[in-house]
Amino acid sequence: MQLMPEAVLVVTALVLLGMAVAYESKTLKPFPVNSAIGIATVGILLAIAALWCPPLKLNGDSSLIASDGLARLFKGLVLGLGLLAICIPPARREIPQIGEYYALMLFALTGLLLAAGTNHLLFLFVALELASLSLYLLAGFPRTAKASEASLKYFLFGGVSAAFMLFGMSFLYGFAHTAKLTEIATALAVGPPSALAIAGLLMVLVGLAFKMAAAPFHYWAPDVYQGAPATTVALVSAASKAVGMVVLVRLLLIGFHSAGGSASWGGMLPGWTIWLAILSAVSILFGNLLALAQTSMRRLLAYSAVANTGYLLVALAANGRDAAGSALFYVIVYGLATLGALAVTAAVERDRGNDSISSFAGLVKRSPFQAVSLLVFLTSLAGIPPLAGFFGKFAMFSTAMAATASGEKSGLAWLVGLGAIMSAVSLYYYLSVLKQAYVKDAAEDSVSSSAPCLPVFHALSVAIPAVLLVLLGLFPSILLAPISKAVIDSLGL
Amino acid sequence: MLILLLIILPLFGAAMLAAWSGADRTRSCRFALGWSVLPLACVAFIGTQDKINGVMAEAPPLTWIPDAKMDLRFSIDGISWLFLLLTCLVTLFSFASSLASGRGGRAYCGLILVLQSALFGVFTARHFIPWFLCWEMTLIPSYLLIRLWGGHGAPRAALRFFIMTLGGSAFMLVGFLALQLSVGTMDFSELAKLASDHALAGGLAKTFAATGMTGSALLTIVALAVFLGLAVKVPVVPFHAWLPAAYAEAPTPVTMLLTGLLSKMGVYGLLRIFLPIFPEVLPSLAPLLTGLAVATILLGAMAALAQTDLKRILAYSSVNHLGYCVMAIAASAAVHADRGALSAALSGTVLQAINHGVIASALFFGIGILESRSGGSRGLNDFGGLRAKTPVFCGVFGIAVFASLGLPGLSGFIGEFLMFNGVFALTPWAAAVSLIGLLLTAVFLLRMIRKIFHGPLKPNFAKWADLSGTERGWFALAMALIVIPGLWPQALLHFTNPVILNILDLLSPIP
Amino acid sequence: MTPAWTILTAFAGALLVLLLPARSAAFSRVVALVASIAGALVAAVACLERLNHPDAPVWDLNLPWVPDLGINFHLAANGLSLTLLLLTGIVAIAGVLFSWNVSHRPRAFFAWFLTIIGGVYGVFLSRDAFLLFVCYEVVILPKYMLIAIWGSTNKEYGAMKLTMYSIGASALILIGIVVAYAAAGGKSFDLDYLAHATYAPSLQFWAFPILFLGFAVLAGMWPFHTWAPTGHVAAPTAASMLLAGVVMKLGAYGAMCVAMPLFPQGFMEWRMVIAGLAVVGIIYGALTALTQKDLKFVIGYSSVSHMGFILLGLAAANQWGLRGAALQMISHGIIAGLLFGIAGRVVYERTHTRDLTALQAFDLWKTLPGAAVAFTLATAASMGLPGFSGFVAEISVVIGLWNVYPWLTIPVAIGIIITGAFSLRAMIRAFFPERKSTDAPAEKMPPLTRPEISAIALLLVVSLAIGIYPKPWVVLIDDGLRSPLFQSILSLP
Repeated sequence: MQLMPEAVLVVTALVLLGMAVAYESKTLKPFPVNSAIGIATVGILLAIAALWCPPLKLNGDSSLIASDGLARLFKGLVLGLGLLAICIPPARREIPQIGEYYALMLFALTGLLLAAGTNHLLFLFVALELASLSLYLLAGFPRTAKASEASLKYFLFGGVSAAFMLFGMSFLYGFAHTAKLTEIATALAVGPPSALAIAGLLMVLVGLAFKMAAAPFHYWAPDVYQGAPATTVALVSAASKAVGMVVLVRLLLIGFHSAGGSASWGGMLPGWTIWLAILSAVSILFGNLLALAQTSMRRLLAYSAVANTGYLLVALAANGRDAAGSALFYVIVYGLATLGALAVTAAVERDRGNDSISSFAGLVKRSPFQAVSLLVFLTSLAGIPPLAGFFGKFAMFSTAMAATASGEKSGLAWLVGLGAIMSAVSLYYYLSVLKQAYVKDAAEDSVSSSAPCLPVFHALSVAIPAVLLVLLGLFPSILLAPISKAVIDSLGL
Repeated sequence: MLILLLIILPLFGAAMLAAWSGADRTRSCRFALGWSVLPLACVAFIGTQDKINGVMAEAPPLTWIPDAKMDLRFSIDGISWLFLLLTCLVTLFSFASSLASGRGGRAYCGLILVLQSALFGVFTARHFIPWFLCWEMTLIPSYLLIRLWGGHGAPRAALRFFIMTLGGSAFMLVGFLALQLSVGTMDFSELAKLASDHALAGGLAKTFAATGMTGSALLTIVALAVFLGLAVKVPVVPFHAWLPAAYAEAPTPVTMLLTGLLSKMGVYGLLRIFLPIFPEVLPSLAPLLTGLAVATILLGAMAALAQTDLKRILAYSSVNHLGYCVMAIAASAAVHADRGALSAALSGTVLQAINHGVIASALFFGIGILESRSGGSRGLNDFGGLRAKTPVFCGVFGIAVFASLGLPGLSGFIGEFLMFNGVFALTPWAAAVSLIGLLLTAVFLLRMIRKIFHGPLKPNFAKWADLSGTERGWFALAMALIVIPGLWPQALLHFTNPVILNILDLLSPIP
Repeated sequence: MTPAWTILTAFAGALLVLLLPARSAAFSRVVALVASIAGALVAAVACLERLNHPDAPVWDLNLPWVPDLGINFHLAANGLSLTLLLLTGIVAIAGVLFSWNVSHRPRAFFAWFLTIIGGVYGVFLSRDAFLLFVCYEVVILPKYMLIAIWGSTNKEYGAMKLTMYSIGASALILIGIVVAYAAAGGKSFDLDYLAHATYAPSLQFWAFPILFLGFAVLAGMWPFHTWAPTGHVAAPTAASMLLAGVVMKLGAYGAMCVAMPLFPQGFMEWRMVIAGLAVVGIIYGALTALTQKDLKFVIGYSSVSHMGFILLGLAAANQWGLRGAALQMISHGIIAGLLFGIAGRVVYERTHTRDLTALQAFDLWKTLPGAAVAFTLATAASMGLPGFSGFVAEISVVIGLWNVYPWLTIPVAIGIIITGAFSLRAMIRAFFPERKSTDAPAEKMPPLTRPEISAIALLLVVSLAIGIYPKPWVVLIDDGLRSPLFQSILSLP
């Protein structure tokens, strides 16, 4: 019953499609958004419940559909993030085909779930493509030039990355004569990796870097964040990034753990950690510096996504189990914060018509609820305690150091230092948004003195992440302990 | 505990004034006047205590900073007691004069009380730390008193007073810090003991070895630094630049405090601190100090001669009078010879300081009366012929002036007599030269009397009445304080002698 | 009564203020005052208990927090912490009193204010590097908000500059802590544990300056001080008082209780540099203050100068030096609070200028004699006149310095003289101008209000109490210095 949640999602999607078609052909009116959200929500909740189905004992190969701790935990977490994303309603005029839209959301989630639970390269590719294809479509739903541009760019970059990944996987298969990560690990243990394996891994990494929006492979991100519906962006930034991290952790720590080398300052050893470290450093620098110049909230969040990918890669570059655990913790926390920020942005857009940072002016007066939530999200992203984002970064940096430094070796201190300092810089652009919200007064011609009340779903998609971020910031063990357990379960000691 | 009570009493009064929002000028001043009787009673009570090793009262030592031999130690011996008594009396006169001249106010009276408290501390402290704390605590109240209630030139005068005094005490602080760093204590009696064992120079030489100077050279520098701090307060020429303006610009009751008490802090310090701690280097410094003292005497007298402002005349006269004290102290540093002469010189110093305080208070009281009745004029030539209108005032003022110029039978005489007695034996040339000063003093003081009280009566003073009952009462008290010690100096010497002998033991230990 | 109540009262007060209905704005300041007084009382009682039972074990609260990373919720209060708690409480009370008339969004104002207080209490009580860092960072956002919303003169620039310096500095601290954690084996963030671990000298050589600099920036070390005057001038009065009074002390406290105990050998290598920078800071701050035209800038630069004494005491690193540094923390906390309170609240609220030339027209000593007398006393305290707290502190530092770098006492003496000069200059220009009798008499001003008088009296009395009878404070500080943290430093040659 390993695939029960996925099955539930697919069935729900089909039901939703059918109902929407029936409704629309009968009433000639668009399917109501709230019904669509309701059905999708029920489906996701059922899928979460289905996680508790006891896994079937399979004979033989279990790498195709792993049911290890990581898979179970992250399927649940990704479903949760997906649920929150779905709760952000699109603007009324944005999406005419509500039924199709939400069905595709569910398909994308299905793909993500599958990708989170496999140790097999080929199956991984298929799952990721299922998710990606749905996301390309989801990005282009509004019939606007921006959305089309976003969708096209996303598709083109995504396609290239898929090609890279597939090409790399074929190299890896050529090297190890298997697509199973555990067996690749065994093959690597025999001797030093061949050039074939290195090239293969490099290409797979490039492919994943595209998907994770790591610089310099991030060019699609700002346009997609700006053009796509907020719901899509929330799914891309939160759920899909979380799955990307799980995939990376599986690939690198299960498959290529022994080929990691070292990215320590002064003690470099060839291996993938150096590439990751470079990728990480470039992402941190690019993301943060470019975010400084943004005037659009969504583009700002896109560059912040790039920067945050960089922080995540710092922990991965340590090639350690604890570091991986804290990175997985952070990716969830990051997802919550970005998702919440997008939800607030969507609300502000609905109220003020655009997502420029200056349209946040006076938010604290118009809607204290949104303003306080925004404060939580952005300060969590900036890494200010007592919010979870702070703890996540702190845990990543300290575990990355602990895994690499000892005695006189400074380990990844250079990268951690860069991350910490650029994270400080990031406060500047987050604060410039908060400044609008808290310090500035809204322009004279503002429509109303108080913002309209948010729909319940929307309000929940703002409130739940905010509460969770505070809670996880104060008691990080709630999430960190299960993740550590899951990581041990999946990666072994 | 009595000492702490004594120090806290005026502060408590100041606090009460601060809290009493309904007090106007007269009321606050009356209250302060009444309140300052309390410390006087306290001091009088202490005066009746038995002396144990010359100490009449001692406060339990309070640690200031642990493990550093920095304690708040206070005790009262004969000399301290006299200075305490002086403090109480002058404060009393000052309030009386304020009341007479219509000054007062909560802040004004409160600040004077704070000043009084700090002075109590200065005259009782036996360790550098409490002494210096109180020494500096006098600065702010006196600055504010001059600055806020003074005349037109007060801003500059007050600032100059503040900066010069502060600068001087900075040197003093550095000097004592050097001692603390090298011998590990700033306790006056311990330092004096070390000094009589000739341990200071060695300690300094060891600690400041990097400077490459000998111990006695270093000790000389330290001594000069300490002297500088004290000399500014006295003041000794050439550190007197702040004095004329400050005395003249301050309101007259405050001038009374400045000359009657603040300048005595310097004399007290020279006698009680400077002399016992630096006997090793004093012989070599003596010519310099004596020179400065003689210069102070002569320049003070000559400057007074050239003034036309009554307050400035009295200001320079103070410089001149305290110059004798410095001369006596310097002289007693010169040689380790005649105990009798030394004792005379030092006893004379104390008596001169005390008596000058009382006499100056009486004189300034008189100036204050002139000033307030004439609406602020205090020029030497503004008045004339007042004797006809105010015979009583003329009489008492005259007595005070004669006491000031040292007429036998009045209190001014005994101090000067004893000092000259001692100094002639120790440094005859200095005594001889400063006799000129005595002469000049007589000239300018008598001229003052003549200009004010004799000659033709100016028309605008035609309606002046003589002293009022209250004023007569205050002057009567002052006259008593001038006449009694003059006739019965033993009353004061009884208090000073044991302490002087102690100091002499430290200066020239009996072999 | 445990000292932890200080933290609780502050945060509970902040929460309560926020939860109050919007109409009860006036009530919020009462809540803030009560919370501040409660905190100060708790601290005072704890101080007294410690004084009466010097041999009792130090109060200690150690709860597991994030066991995966070895993070504990560890609070402990030795005498040093307790005195600083008391300082914080006193400045907090004065700050609330000086903000009695805040009418613009008072609830938010006092909520942020109390948040800072709570964070500061937390830092002074923390014995876990992570917890300390959390509390340290909690302060940052409220600082920004207080300045940006309620500030004056160039407030947004000042707020952003101050915040960026703070967060940048805390990035350095983060790196330093994480390096220590990793090098000590990655087991625990407990400060006692970290201080007892041995670190390779080469690591200490580069890790110490990072950690120390992080703290020293907040302590206003030259040349990283420029945030201080700008920020303090821009801040509203209560915030200036808090910033200069206690928040700068966080930096000094961290340098003393974290950076130096962790890397004593690294400290030895950099000691001379620290001492040199401190002396430059003393003189530079004083000289710059001498040329300022704005009364608050004078005070701001004087803070730089005074904080130099703390760093100097730390560089001396012997009993006298550390004791002097701690005394100076307390003393400057009180005096800076007093100066900023008078200049920013009492004078500015009535004259609406802080320009030294413009103030002359107001003839303040006649129109506002209470303020003039108070400022004179504050100036005397700031000059380090005996009888005020500054004297004890500075003399202790100088004695401590003498035993290490005797020649440095000469420039320090020069610095003290310049301090006297600029203090007098500012006082005379602002309060005691020389006016011609032909000048028009200045208009009357409302007399000091009761809260103002209470705050001034409170601070003055404390400064005098320390200056005249420092023994209890010194005993408490010495008690703190006996903590095992400092043994490695105090045993240095």
